[in-house]
Amino acid sequence: MSQSLAKECNEAKERYDTCFLKWYSEKYLRGIGSLENNECSELFKQYSKCLQGPLKERGIDKMLVEAREDNKENDALYLGRKK
Amino acid sequence: MVLTHTTNHTYSHPFPTVTLAYFLRYCSPKLNPFAAHVLSTDTIEQRVDPATGRLHTTRLHLKKSRLPPAVFKLLPVSITGGGAPDKASYVLETSVVDMREGWMTTESRNLNFVGVLSVVEKQTYTLPEASSPKTGGTTDVETSVVFKSRLGERIRDKLGEKAQQHVQEDGWLARFGSRGIQRTIESLASTKTQDQLGKSREGMSMILERLRHTGIIGVLEHRRAASAPTTK
Repeated sequence: MSQSLAKECNEAKERYDTCFLKWYSEKYLRGIGSLENNECSELFKQYSKCLQGPLKERGIDKMLVEAREDNKENDALYLGRKK
Repeated sequence: MVLTHTTNHTYSHPFPTVTLAYFLRYCSPKLNPFAAHVLSTDTIEQRVDPATGRLHTTRLHLKKSRLPPAVFKLLPVSITGGGAPDKASYVLETSVVDMREGWMTTESRNLNFVGVLSVVEKQTYTLPEASSPKTGGTTDVETSVVFKSRLGERIRDKLGEKAQQHVQEDGWLARFGSRGIQRTIESLASTKTQDQLGKSREGMSMILERLRHTGIIGVLEHRRAASAPTTK
């Protein structure tokens, strides 16, 4: 499924993606099962943990914070006070 | 300065399949050749809201920058960092799927280069109207893209009010003033996006056709084959 931005996380990502896609198509789309405590949770934890470092190294965590703030600003500006 | 562009489209595939195709669209360039410029995709967050049953997903994509070279040359070095026009851009994608009510909303925005141009693409996928003759087999999607360039503000701050006024008063020179550049960037981005939206749709259609013929298992098998090491 394409690569991860961090090569070392490719395997963990591949395992999670496969699990998610199977769960999504076989369960979620048929209205069964939640993502909580299901077969994919553990895989996601491993994958997520792997990504922490690379995200920080590339300053993406900061970009995410800025984007969220910008989002709120834009929504307030263009949509009027919402939420 | 803000430019908005809205389009509507209908896929001849059922809603659940279209949402699946959305998650698969950057899977591999072999599956979707229109996504060859996507360098990586990562899921940052994914959860189901127990109260609503909605699936919330946040993904981060890394794409080869498609900032047009013409635009790149207009920019001051302080913004471009003097680099080449092929820097990668980070795109944040958030989506919500509601299977109970039958809709999905998505939003994609660039995380870097926002000082130059901010592009926010929002989509809403829905089941067709109940009264429509084609129900169950199609999915409607409305896409809106908002372009915002703040470049003018930054240049204005640098030049100072007086210089800015001078630039605007002179007819042809005004085109190269900060507002002119802003408009140029937005309109170039808008034109490029019309092509890009067409390609995105074609990419989605290719994936949808493959899902129709081989199902998800077939697609997963293809992925495994596609990511097998190849000699280069």
